[in-house]
Amino acid sequence: MSRVFKALADPTRRQVLQLLRRGPMTAGDLAEQFKVTKQTMSAHFAVLQAAELIESEKQGRTITYRLRLSVLEDALLAFAQTVGMQVKRDDESVQSSVPRTEES
Amino acid sequence: MTERPASSPITRSLITAALILVSSAALALASPAYLSADLAQRLFGIMLGAVVVLYANAIPKALIPLARMRCDPATEQGLRRFTGWALVLGGMGYATAWLFAPMTSAWILAIALLGTALLAVLLRYAWVVYAKRSS
Repeated sequence: MSRVFKALADPTRRQVLQLLRRGPMTAGDLAEQFKVTKQTMSAHFAVLQAAELIESEKQGRTITYRLRLSVLEDALLAFAQTVGMQVKRDDESVQSSVPRTEES
Repeated sequence: MTERPASSPITRSLITAALILVSSAALALASPAYLSADLAQRLFGIMLGAVVVLYANAIPKALIPLARMRCDPATEQGLRRFTGWALVLGGMGYATAWLFAPMTSAWILAIALLGTALLAVLLRYAWVVYAKRSS
């Protein structure tokens, strides 16, 4: 469960989950939504996969990600989004990232 | 620290089934001597509601490989999420009705709440099928 909380503590990862709520998306399509490097995005995907919140499927050179949230995890995501849950950057295993929507 | 290996779904299902059977048998045995019939019935209803919640919670996590999917993956995902949420709420309603409602109306209220959730799921499935055929 701590992996789930860690995964949900980052706004970028929460935004990835929000995007996947609409349906499965490729890694490229997801990465386009954020102003971060591919490595950073891969790290975010890895954290989400380790927490079993998303699943990936490889078809040729394309990786498709899709949501794998239980109802409880879905409710936790909504709660985290509402209260803006966030851990200190020092505790994070991935680099700082800013979604494109928050660009100045 | 090493992670504890997760048990297989079959093992978990067998353990859950055994727990349900043992709890039901324990309630039946304890009913006349240690528990009133009403209390035993309430506890059984709460337990059934909890089982529905437990299984419904995991519905959106059970995935079919994309290659084997026969409909739009986004629609399928939406259906799974809706089914999970509806049955979790229905199961919670079922357990809550057995917990708080008067004994005379508890069963009908519990069945009505869970039945509404099941009906909502069936209607959503029917709507998806109808929309697919008419498009």
